[in-house]
Amino acid sequence: MRYVYRALTLLGGHRAQRVMGAATLVGLAATVAIGLFVVPPDAEQGDVQRLMYVHVPAAWVTYLSFGAVFVASIAYLRTGRIQWDRVACASAEIGVRFCALTIVLGALWGRPVWGTWWTWDPRLTTTAVLLLIYVGYLSLRRVADNPIRRARWAAVVGVVGFIDVPIVHMSVVWWRSLHQQATVVRPGAPTIAGSMLATLLLAFVAFSLAYGYLMAVRMRVGRLEDRSALPVSELSTPRARRPRPVQATAVNGSPHHA
Amino acid sequence: MHDLGYVAAGYAVTLVTLAGYRWRLALRTRRARRYLSTATGRTTAGRH
Repeated sequence: MRYVYRALTLLGGHRAQRVMGAATLVGLAATVAIGLFVVPPDAEQGDVQRLMYVHVPAAWVTYLSFGAVFVASIAYLRTGRIQWDRVACASAEIGVRFCALTIVLGALWGRPVWGTWWTWDPRLTTTAVLLLIYVGYLSLRRVADNPIRRARWAAVVGVVGFIDVPIVHMSVVWWRSLHQQATVVRPGAPTIAGSMLATLLLAFVAFSLAYGYLMAVRMRVGRLEDRSALPVSELSTPRARRPRPVQATAVNGSPHHA
Repeated sequence: MHDLGYVAAGYAVTLVTLAGYRWRLALRTRRARRYLSTATGRTTAGRH
């Protein structure tokens, strides 16, 4: 039991976060085990179709992350509260990783099925544009030196950039595409076998948990880095006597931010 | 058999991406904590 607790401690700080980390690990392990060894291979594509259980959930988390950036950016523009900017920044950072992962997994799936790693297909192209938009979003945060200006500019990009998400999803419907149509999030019933759908739903849950867990950890890191960006005089003042923080708190602009 | 190489690579890339990012966050936490400890002369509570 001690070792279980120690393993959980390694996952993070707060109890809820540790539980979420453990649930993520279990979910991902189950996804890998079932996706690789339990579900039957696809009748046409064979074993390579097993990539669906990581590729599609990675794309889902990309949508989820950038959706959170969109909501948090609107909330920031409406309220001016810097906490929303922190949420948007954390979610964008995670979303960029999942978006890049989606593209890499798509290339690994496309090579044996389409015969090419990459093609300028509408779905692939709009996804690449999505990645560039949010890499730009993160780059913009490093350029602006004034924290308020940085948060405002980033929020505008976070709102406008989200326009590409529905375009990515609908690209296979709107244009002739090599990429297959949606099999789950589509009008009507899903078009895949029950066991495959169940595994895919498990993977959706596992990846969503991974997103939640990484967000929790990333938010804590952001708070620490923001604190470490404060002048030393403010850091050494006891919290009770410290002047009320103004909105000019540096958000991820500290030298620690990587 | 050839396809299994792509599948294995895909799952490996996924797990390495997730674990790598978590590792990076742990490093950033440690660095920020060390800086705060040095700056304030106090140790910070909790693991991270």
